[in-house]
Amino acid sequence: MAAALVVAAATAAAVCARTLWLGAHRRLDDRRGGGSGAAMLAALPEFLTASVLAVVVGVHLGWLPALGWYGPRWMVLPALALGLPAGALLGRMLADLLPGAFAEPWALAAAARGIPGRATARHAVRRCVPGLLPNLGLFVVGLTGGAVTVEQVFDIPGLGRTTLQAAVAQDLPVLQAGTLALVLLAAVAGGLVRLAARRLVGPALRDGALHSLHRPTPPAPSRAPLLHGTLLLAVVALGLTRDPLALDTGARLQPPSWAHPLGTDALGRDLLARIGHGAFTTLALAVAISAVALLTGVLLGLLPRFSGPLVDTVNAVPAVLAGLLVAGVVGGGAATPALAVAAVAWVPLAAHTTALLEQERATTHITATRGLGADDAYLLRRELLPAVLPPVARHALLRLPGVALALTTLGFLGLGAQPPDPEWGLLLAENQPYAERAPWAVLAPATALALLGALAVTATGGVRWPRPWRRPLAGAPQRPKPAAAPTVGEPG
Amino acid sequence: MRTPRRRRAAAGLLLAPLLTGCFASDGGTTDDASGDGSRLRVALAFPPAENFSPYGADATLLSRLGVTEGLTKLDANGVPAPALAESWTRENDRNWLFSLREATFQDGTEVTPVTVATALTRAGEAEPVTAALSGISLTAKAEGDRQVRVTTEDPDPALPLRLTSPGLAILSAKAYGGKRVNPVGTATGPFELTKVTGTTAATLDRFEEYWGGRAQASGIDAKFIADGSARTNALRTDQVDIAEAVPVSQASTLDKATRRETATTRTTSLLLNTKTGAFKDPKLRAAAREAVDGSVLAKDVYEGHADAGVGIFGPAVTWAAGKRVAPAGRAKAADPDGTAVTIATYDNRPELPEVAQVLQQQLREAGFEVKLEVREYSRLESDALAGKFDAFVGARNSLLDTGDPVTILASDFTCDGSYNLALLCDKKVDRAVAAAEKESDTAKRQQAAMNAEAAILATDATVPLVHQRIITGVSTSVRGVILDPYERTLVGTGTRR
Repeated sequence: MAAALVVAAATAAAVCARTLWLGAHRRLDDRRGGGSGAAMLAALPEFLTASVLAVVVGVHLGWLPALGWYGPRWMVLPALALGLPAGALLGRMLADLLPGAFAEPWALAAAARGIPGRATARHAVRRCVPGLLPNLGLFVVGLTGGAVTVEQVFDIPGLGRTTLQAAVAQDLPVLQAGTLALVLLAAVAGGLVRLAARRLVGPALRDGALHSLHRPTPPAPSRAPLLHGTLLLAVVALGLTRDPLALDTGARLQPPSWAHPLGTDALGRDLLARIGHGAFTTLALAVAISAVALLTGVLLGLLPRFSGPLVDTVNAVPAVLAGLLVAGVVGGGAATPALAVAAVAWVPLAAHTTALLEQERATTHITATRGLGADDAYLLRRELLPAVLPPVARHALLRLPGVALALTTLGFLGLGAQPPDPEWGLLLAENQPYAERAPWAVLAPATALALLGALAVTATGGVRWPRPWRRPLAGAPQRPKPAAAPTVGEPG
Repeated sequence: MRTPRRRRAAAGLLLAPLLTGCFASDGGTTDDASGDGSRLRVALAFPPAENFSPYGADATLLSRLGVTEGLTKLDANGVPAPALAESWTRENDRNWLFSLREATFQDGTEVTPVTVATALTRAGEAEPVTAALSGISLTAKAEGDRQVRVTTEDPDPALPLRLTSPGLAILSAKAYGGKRVNPVGTATGPFELTKVTGTTAATLDRFEEYWGGRAQASGIDAKFIADGSARTNALRTDQVDIAEAVPVSQASTLDKATRRETATTRTTSLLLNTKTGAFKDPKLRAAAREAVDGSVLAKDVYEGHADAGVGIFGPAVTWAAGKRVAPAGRAKAADPDGTAVTIATYDNRPELPEVAQVLQQQLREAGFEVKLEVREYSRLESDALAGKFDAFVGARNSLLDTGDPVTILASDFTCDGSYNLALLCDKKVDRAVAAAEKESDTAKRQQAAMNAEAAILATDATVPLVHQRIITGVSTSVRGVILDPYERTLVGTGTRR
């Protein structure tokens, strides 16, 4: 777990290194909206990274053990599999907040007084970290309870896997002990995170001496969403013209060719067709659940006193376990997996909302607005929500691939998408055993999901249509890029 | 102001226990330096589910690792062979007399008629009763100083076969001292269980006093790796010497030299619900049977690691082929004309969902409307037994529990059967099975079992799809692995590396 955190931190550092360097040298204005790379990395399912690492590094190169859990050497690959996507998300979050920090007056003053760029960068990071802390805490707990697939690939006797097996086998004592351990861990992690956040920005929060990291300036549009969108649309449109259910077991696991541009799966079905037809089932439900989660997340996030403990508790429950619980409470129904995923998906969004809200409330411009006679309702409507909503909405979009995958893992309840439905998560799950022999069979749906993630991230920054280039106003503070949370509480 | 450096050092100290404290202990994989046979490293697919209780699913784990033995064992032809019992005679319909050989338990005590009788009595009282004894009631009494008399309530000609079951292993008196039966150090096999690490690993040492001779390997380090790819990777990275049950999807990643294939008594079949729903109509069952083509499954889904279905007992049941009877009086197939049916299957065996999808297409082409239902096995069984699906695709080891072909026919296809997924209740079948149950002569019993098989196939309640071959990954340095079609043994005295 600690190693996964180290990897996550390293990945996060790599993701936001460029922003930091540019910011420290006061050249951020040149920065174009990028970050699709990180968004795509963040959308990659952990099990895929895990399988690839195990096979390539563990089996073929033989550099590191491919499975087991006996010492530090055994830790590297699982840590990488868990840390890479999570780090990419944390990194994006940080990189999004940094421009705001660099645009604050102190940074300008620091540059004017000739303070070295390194010191400025360090302070900027320190300024932004409190906003990330709640998500970091969620990540730690989610790692323990939700890394079931990674535990399976590397055969690690983890708490999450043990609890889930106990739940499936209806082994009550183990299930109770496991759940209790997870809830305790969540409570401790939550407490530590709050303590750390207070240590870092406590005085500034109390004095209301912060600046808003979110400026109501239009974001810098970019061409990236056009590229992602066109690619995705092209794949879906091409796929729709083909039959996703036509079996040809003789053409099993064919590599990409003219007849099958994305290759075939284990039953010889055309992957392009399956991805195209699966887009609707996957997107419709995932978008609906994300919307519900966003609504719940923001509403509960606005009531931190009420939602804080709830966040800690619910986050301790992996989505698969939630699925079993929901199935136990409302019985088996077609809506059970959706309910279960929605029941846990709001947590990171609520934590994000609360963290942003807390900082936003302590900004000087809120104090000023209040000084001008604004009441609470006005503040909420005109100042707080506009500052908080967009990044949280982008965050929700970024988690869309995760929601799609979570729905699939609940399929074992017999209520999610059933084969031969070409749902994307199911495509990934079905082809996972063949990841080594037919990498295209998993890469194609994973890329589709990653493209979706990248599209969601870049599109919210606005689309810059190909037309004569307008130079942005010199020195205009740039709007931070979307913030995102790590894949927390992902089921196995 | 606090220096960040000191804080970082403190953080490092705090993280240190996180980094080091949580590893599973390595099962002592170091080799014996004495040259006295090295230890074998084995990866098993199914983790112990019941603390190595000899009465449940864990019984086969114990027999596979050479820990437990019964009075008799199955030989390659499916005939009972001597194990702890040297010989036996049938005194009359209900009484059998077994003569024991000289053997010692792993705790040093002698195998005596009294301990054997106690062990069998305890197995009969187990709750829930072990599969080999379901519907059977027996009493065991010591007779003289070397013999045990086993009496069954009803005549049971298959008793010696029944006693081969891993669930009827003989343990020393010490095993029954605690709340649950404990096989650690109380069995008679060539290897002694010394340490169990939860559901992840087990350590076994050679039992020096084994009656069948000293084992060549000095011990076994067994790991339980449920994920098929992970199990295969363990063999490929030389972390284990033997990996059992390599999934078909991983088979081609293994070198030919390390890939061993054994025909097993495991048959994958399509069971049709004869009690409710569309397949209540025998004509539609016939239509389904005609639509299904097992050879496609064997060739493509199982990539040739299986044989097309010929009956309930496949090619691994060596005597079956010569005694097979053609099913007579089958119903004529009717046109399904868009009849909607639901096929259920489970994903614990990764090939089954693929099989179901191919079946779906084959049935669709014949005119059925097919819906699939795939779940984890434990969430499926009760619904399947309650007849909530029209059809069920499952893989069943036809001779695992007792080694007696008639027992499985009785439990799976008769009105009183305890695992009757087809919900079949047919007078002809019941009569044929009852007739087979009465036969005591091995050859006659086998013939009667094949007659019953024909009667069952004639109802089209079950459509045999494929007979699976089990793939075992065996490192090239290993000799003497036992590739048992009954999946009961894996390691024996001659296994070494």
